Amino acid sequence: MELKNFFALFNNQGISNTLFKIIMIVLAIFYFLYAMVVVNQVKIMKKTLQDKHNPLISFITSLQVTVSLILLILAIFLI
Amino acid sequence: MENNNKKSSVFYSYCLDPQVKFETQEEGEKVILLLRSHPFTQIGWIFKSILLFVFLFILNFFIKNLFDSGGIFVINLFLLVFILSYVLFNVINWYFNVGIITNKKIIDIDIDAILYKEINVAPLDKIQDITVKSGGYFEAIFDYGSIYSQTAGTNENVEFLDVPFPTDAVQIINKLISRRYGT
Repeated sequence: MELKNFFALFNNQGISNTLFKIIMIVLAIFYFLYAMVVVNQVKIMKKTLQDKHNPLISFITSLQVTVSLILLILAIFLI
Repeated sequence: MENNNKKSSVFYSYCLDPQVKFETQEEGEKVILLLRSHPFTQIGWIFKSILLFVFLFILNFFIKNLFDSGGIFVINLFLLVFILSYVLFNVINWYFNVGIITNKKIIDIDIDAILYKEINVAPLDKIQDITVKSGGYFEAIFDYGSIYSQTAGTNENVEFLDVPFPTDAVQIINKLISRRYGT
């Protein structure tokens, strides 16, 4: 990063954008961790109770992990 | 189970002869009834979720001048995903919080905030007393209530909270006890 661009981060617009990006990335990381915990807990609960709707719940929780990764990528590259 | 025409009803919260298995199921043990909280008791989080969707919609009018289109898209996506996660969290909590009545015992499987799991088991021969508590307008209208069973010895007491048709469920337990142990 050039020195000029680095200092540009700290003008008013730059600071708010950078702060926004950092907040979004942190949120996305926490959300990814949460999604992983949910997937593992659902795996445990599937053993505890074996029901015909379990594959659907597993699919949705896996989808949640995928979405959390997409959010993380968007937070890093889009904003 | 005879004399019970509620085969499977109230959005899978009262299932007679369900096709389920559980972790500590013994050989020859048959699941007679599976209970979950009555869907009406879930109305709180359903209402909150709807409010959050409305909030998200209104928020867009205020943020459209503060962020560029990419920022608005990401904010919307984040909030939408968080609301859907809140819904999923509550559905999982409801779905895996079950009471199971088998021909040998009654089991209460509780998960709290997805992270904590508690399983209470009471063999039918150890059940000393069963109480049904159902009070209030909505309980009367939708026919739901809580079942508390006291057990002898060091066994944990088993509770099924806010389940549909509690008196029918207790009837089933009593029949199983009298059929098996003749009490």
